[in-house]
Amino acid sequence: MTHPETTGPLLGRRSVLLGSVLAGLGASSFLAACGANEQSSSGGATSSSTQTGGTLTILVEQTTTNFDPAKSQSLAITSLGLVHRRLTSWKVTSGEPAELVADLATDTGTPSDGGRTWTFTLKDGLTFSDGTPIRAADVKWGLERSFTPAFSGGLTYHKDLLAGAAGYGGPFEGGALDSIATPDDRTIVFTLARPYGDWGWVASTPAFSPVPEGKGAEADYGQHPVASGPYAVKTYQQGVRIELARNTHWTKDSDDVRAALPDTVLISMGQAADVVSQRLAADSSADQTAFGASFVSPAQLVQVSQNPSAKDRLVTSSSGALAFLSLNTTRGVLGDVKVRQAFQYAVDKSAFQIATAGTAELAGKIATTLITDGIAGREDFDLYTAPPEGDPAKAKELLAAAGHPQGLTGLKLLVSQDGNGPAQAQALQASLAKAGIAVDLLVQDSDAYYAAINAVNPEEYDLALASWQPDFPSANANLQPLFATSAIGNGGYNSARYSNPAVDAAIEAAQATVDADEAGKAWAAIDRQVMTDSPVVPLIYTRNSFLRGSKVTNFFIGAFPAYPNYLAVGVTA
Amino acid sequence: MTPAAPPPPRTSFGSALVRAVRDDRAATIGALVIAALLLLALLAPVITRITGQDPYTYDASALDPGSGLPQGALGGISGTHWLGVEPLTGRDLFAIVAHGARTSFLIGVLATAVSVVLGVALGASAGYLGGWWDRVVGWVGDVIFGFPYLVFMVALGAVAPPSIPRQVLLIVVIGFFGWPRVARVVRSATLGLARRDFVRAAQAMGSPPWRTITRRLLPNLWGPVVVIATLSIPERIGLEAALSFLGVGVRPPTPSWGRSISDAIGWVQTDPMFLVVPGVALFLATMAFNLLGDGLRDALDPRTARQGAR
Amino acid sequence: MATLRYAGTRVLSGLGVLLVVAFVTFAVFYLLPTDPAQLSCGRPCTPENLALARGFMGFDEPWWQQFGEFLGGILTGRTFGSGATAIDCSAPCFGYSFQQSATVVSLIGDRLPVTVSLAVGAAVLWLVVGVALGVVSALRRGSVVDHLASGVSVIGVSAPVYLVGLLGILLLGFTLDVVPVSGYVPLAQSPVDWAWHLVLPWIVLAFLNGAVYVRLTRGQMLEVLNEDYIRTARAKGLPERTVIGKHALRNVTLPLVTLFGLDLGGLLGGAVITEKVFGMPGVGSLLLEAVGQLDLPLLLSTTLFAAVLIVVANVLVDLVYGLLDPRARLT
Repeated sequence: MTHPETTGPLLGRRSVLLGSVLAGLGASSFLAACGANEQSSSGGATSSSTQTGGTLTILVEQTTTNFDPAKSQSLAITSLGLVHRRLTSWKVTSGEPAELVADLATDTGTPSDGGRTWTFTLKDGLTFSDGTPIRAADVKWGLERSFTPAFSGGLTYHKDLLAGAAGYGGPFEGGALDSIATPDDRTIVFTLARPYGDWGWVASTPAFSPVPEGKGAEADYGQHPVASGPYAVKTYQQGVRIELARNTHWTKDSDDVRAALPDTVLISMGQAADVVSQRLAADSSADQTAFGASFVSPAQLVQVSQNPSAKDRLVTSSSGALAFLSLNTTRGVLGDVKVRQAFQYAVDKSAFQIATAGTAELAGKIATTLITDGIAGREDFDLYTAPPEGDPAKAKELLAAAGHPQGLTGLKLLVSQDGNGPAQAQALQASLAKAGIAVDLLVQDSDAYYAAINAVNPEEYDLALASWQPDFPSANANLQPLFATSAIGNGGYNSARYSNPAVDAAIEAAQATVDADEAGKAWAAIDRQVMTDSPVVPLIYTRNSFLRGSKVTNFFIGAFPAYPNYLAVGVTA
Repeated sequence: MTPAAPPPPRTSFGSALVRAVRDDRAATIGALVIAALLLLALLAPVITRITGQDPYTYDASALDPGSGLPQGALGGISGTHWLGVEPLTGRDLFAIVAHGARTSFLIGVLATAVSVVLGVALGASAGYLGGWWDRVVGWVGDVIFGFPYLVFMVALGAVAPPSIPRQVLLIVVIGFFGWPRVARVVRSATLGLARRDFVRAAQAMGSPPWRTITRRLLPNLWGPVVVIATLSIPERIGLEAALSFLGVGVRPPTPSWGRSISDAIGWVQTDPMFLVVPGVALFLATMAFNLLGDGLRDALDPRTARQGAR
Repeated sequence: MATLRYAGTRVLSGLGVLLVVAFVTFAVFYLLPTDPAQLSCGRPCTPENLALARGFMGFDEPWWQQFGEFLGGILTGRTFGSGATAIDCSAPCFGYSFQQSATVVSLIGDRLPVTVSLAVGAAVLWLVVGVALGVVSALRRGSVVDHLASGVSVIGVSAPVYLVGLLGILLLGFTLDVVPVSGYVPLAQSPVDWAWHLVLPWIVLAFLNGAVYVRLTRGQMLEVLNEDYIRTARAKGLPERTVIGKHALRNVTLPLVTLFGLDLGGLLGGAVITEKVFGMPGVGSLLLEAVGQLDLPLLLSTTLFAAVLIVVANVLVDLVYGLLDPRARLT
């Protein structure tokens, strides 16, 4: 499963939010970062037609698409963004970096009190799909509602940051949350527990969508939500199909991020990724106005490359999520930093590329740092210089020096069943074997995989193949979730169980830094510091490929995130 | 039943086997194919040593660098790679099929063995002893028949802790769900035999039940048991392949025909040999066992043999 | 009276079987070290949020207590949570899928038409074709038809559904482009599209399952044709159609009913693979989704539902058997 909408995939699940530093970042530095990458979004140059009308079909693999803002982990630019507006949103254009822009609000928020208080003003004349006005109290209600245990499961960045929110159980039982103030119908003021420069980006997460005050008590609210965006859910067929029709109360002039070109959007669920690719490649009349939300698999990439028509309709992101091999630092010999460093040399990143997408070009370039492409302050460095095929001799040498001249045996490598995780893991397994490291694979269904990564129990695995796309384009979102001690277990993603008090302190200091340039430098230093301890082996920055039908227009992937911008897509007759 | 029947000759089963394999052309083919595949499975490590091809080693040189597809015609068939290679990895397909045969046979045969041991023990004791034990065995069998075993195994495969080796889990679970069918056949055969004089004679002479079962009954149950076992093996092989196809069978990189078939789905149009090679292997194995099983049944049961003259 | 008592006993024992299946499934799934609440925790997840989610879903109670509530829910319904946001799952409540925000009864109900369309269509096809081929083979023993039917049925018995299905999709779907590659259209929406999407799965399933019917019918027919009363009937000069239709086929009915009933009962097991191959959103796909999402209530209830089908089929077959052949009741 490879869709950014809901729980699941190796990559999709994490690619959800977008952070703050970009707000204060000039486009030029972002482009410079892209230039260093030397790979730009390729293929699929669609006409930038602004023709409205028609029916767009989105073919998705999973069978639940959640339109409940409290339960959704969806990106601002995918399906949820068609139905719900948030306080802020992302402006994603072809080849350009994502930009934090106002959505329901008139700007991206005004900080005061050193970043501890944030004030937003709503645009004038906004209405819900039921004709009632959208008020600040409705945004507040939507946020409060997300604290209700019955509606958990969405993005929770705000829950930890809002002052006095600990123990709050939602508006249905627990009354109002005082740290969200609505002095009038158009003003909303947030009081945070600590200064947080990225709050403007946090305000683009799904929970910042308005829910009419007092509504949304039912568990299936997501199947008939009150819309604020250009579309409303017309029919919802569980697990099969969702039809979105125009919300006549939405006005184009109030919205800079949504083109809202098609009259109808159909979300067709439960479509196996390979079948989707084959159908879209064949481009039969029914599929000409459709695009696939799943990544095009390596097998299908080969096929598409042999089909000139389909090749033109393939869109590949310029960069993407960091794929890495996690070394569980709490497990036996892996507690020894010298042993972990040997892994940096042992891994054959070139074989990993082939297993990922058939060719190095389509897979994405080799990674040696933790901060992903296009993030402010990113520095390119390589602490463990080795050829792309790895340096098994050097790895053996390091292992021998660490007291393991016979190599290592019986290490369990956890990998998700989804995508071609098993193939990638087998490539790693084969290359580690050359360096005398014997690894057993532990292939799990995606959710069982995450249960192991997120769980408290560190005895599950020694190595894990993981992937991370920052939730927002700040190094904060690259590093904190993966390497802070607080992110170990209990739902955290510190799969290496890496815990270094010095790094924790540095992360805290960098998060509190409001100045973007200064924060960027601090994060780059942390990148180096973590890599010295070698808790993970960076592998590649994975490119994502998507296919569209021949009548789909404006189908492109921005510099970030590595997903198409659903909000811009249209169809021609 | 015919009165005063002597103990059936012990050689009947062996001669039936020979007869079946010799006289029935389909069974002959089945036996030959099984022998060939069994040899392949047993000798897989030796073959690997001779050819230098194992199912785990990546061979990027066998791949087209522009696509990750096998280089050359028919999925990369060459002197080095007799059946071509796997796309994206360049692993040797012949080695994968040979070692996959080990997985299939190991699980198919051992799971059947588990079913047969349990089924014979429970079926023979239930048929011979009767009474409450017979009812208990029958009822537990009913429960297992009511168990949606494929559904259950899919679910179990998803939640079973990784500390349990998959092959063992598959053998035990597949084997366990198979015993009631063996038990039913054995029970009814036992009921038939128990009424016959040579068994009654043993009973009359004060032979204890355990002794009567092992000495008198079991030797005469061989025929039906072997038939049902032979016909069960292809089902078990198919079940393992199905579970691996669904992603809850043996774990990679241990080769499995079912998983290779599943991997090959995406490649059917660009590299059909990747589907054909493991698919043919799986099909041949199941068909061979079915042909042999049918032949044995016909040979052992003169009634069906008479009708089933092919 | 005896028939009624016989039926009652069979139904009761069927219920007993279901209870044991539910208990075993429950124990196995809930004792394994997984935490379904993890997926409803949100991201980033905190221990507090996790505990709240677990408590709301009822996964914080001991498993035997949860089993008791599960059984109770079937009779009286259940309520998850409390106050305005409480989720009401009315009787018979077989559980609630927190991931899909729906009761498992409604989820299975939504998907059942797909599985039933798939299975019943294929079953009718394989029953008709299988029996017809079996009869012809028996009557024309040794003929080309007989040999062909035997050969094809050996292939049908041996080939796995996903292999034949994939080859079918490759050949008919992609290469010849005469049938859809995957998907399902509800009957109510368009009967033609419905059938058109189902044709390939039906043929594949009928080919694989029909093989057994060919063999069974042929074997039974041959046996019956050798019986004295058939010979007598023939000797009396009754038309062949009457001999076959009235006398011979009737005796083939009993084992066919048994086989057909059990096959239909077991359809959900097979549906898991078939629906995956043909991209059909039926109950089998629902199970695979539940597996992927560690949705324990859904896993449990789909397993139980599959068991219900098997048990009901078994009981019905026994009852039909009892009606057709009263001697069967004694054993």
